[in-house]
Amino acid sequence: MKYNLLFLILFVSSINSAQNTAIGTNEKLTFSASYNMSGLLTELAQVTMETSEVKTSSSTLLKLKCTAATYSKWDNFFKIRDLYESYVSPKTLTPYLYKRDIYEGGYEKFMQYKFKHKTNTIESIKRKKRGDGTTWEEKKNLTISASTKDLVSTIYNIRNLDIHKAKPGDNQTFKIVFDNEEFLINVKYLSKETITTNIGKKECYKLAISINNSSVLKGNNDNLLWLTADANKIPVFAKFKIPVGNGELKIVSATGLKN
Amino acid sequence: MKKLIIILGFISAILAVILAVTPLSKIAFLPAVAALLFGVIAIYISKGKKELKKSIQLIFLLTIMALVVTTYKSIFNKVEVGNTEELIEKENESEEQAIEELEELDIDESDLE
Repeated sequence: MKYNLLFLILFVSSINSAQNTAIGTNEKLTFSASYNMSGLLTELAQVTMETSEVKTSSSTLLKLKCTAATYSKWDNFFKIRDLYESYVSPKTLTPYLYKRDIYEGGYEKFMQYKFKHKTNTIESIKRKKRGDGTTWEEKKNLTISASTKDLVSTIYNIRNLDIHKAKPGDNQTFKIVFDNEEFLINVKYLSKETITTNIGKKECYKLAISINNSSVLKGNNDNLLWLTADANKIPVFAKFKIPVGNGELKIVSATGLKN
Repeated sequence: MKKLIIILGFISAILAVILAVTPLSKIAFLPAVAALLFGVIAIYISKGKKELKKSIQLIFLLTIMALVVTTYKSIFNKVEVGNTEELIEKENESEEQAIEELEELDIDESDLE
């Protein structure tokens, strides 16, 4: 009974998708990803999160784009050029098309999901490069639950949460589809904290993120995200625990904010 | 005892040199400090004895080399993104394709502004 009730609450909350109040149409956030071992910080890559408008013949959608590119000193060792995109409704941030095109140290992979919300299915295309340079493709139709989103739009949906109404300790669950599998992501609001960033001293919401049934991003508040405690809720700092040391994501600049 | 300290010193010094030439050069500070400590301990132990100290000198030499390279890199190397032309090209292509894909999709009118 308890679970049924929980499911019902989740279901209702997913139907009444929150209106987008935090994300503007020409926003650009730049981050620097680094590896921190005993206070010795090594910069690894530049990560950007951009939004823009995309027009089709019948509609205007919001394009959410995340890229990651390693700094030049790493390019000879392990070059990363990743592109993650999601085309969403500007009003409710519901995803329609998700694309992931990654290049990581010689490994190339392409994933695409077309969301069919009426039938709760996605059309997935996976393309990978073989060792001999040829590519192979796999097309699949997957059934997902009504509230399942892709990775990129989930990040933006976390920003769109009404955190000001939440109490420390409150939880919210998101369903995401990644590599043709569904995962549950838990976002827990821990506290308010003021931290110094490259864009000034900011009061922030401190969130803990964990993924169920996965070896990455395990529980125990090891993976933290700081969102500014204003209407924009910009992610300014993130910290991820890895076996030796910490991974960190720090904001460098933020432009084109909505509020 | 002295042998062990010298071996540990060598291992740390060599590790420091290897790390110093990789992009992870800042982390080379950790084994470099360890190598210096082992070097100092080794000198302290062999004080007053008439033994060859070449190996200890070598530890210091390697460590100083690693420290010079690391310090030089952390001061003079700029952090900048390399060539992203391919990525920008990939982005543009991807958007064109995406618009074609989106045309085929059924988008709920109530979802749009």
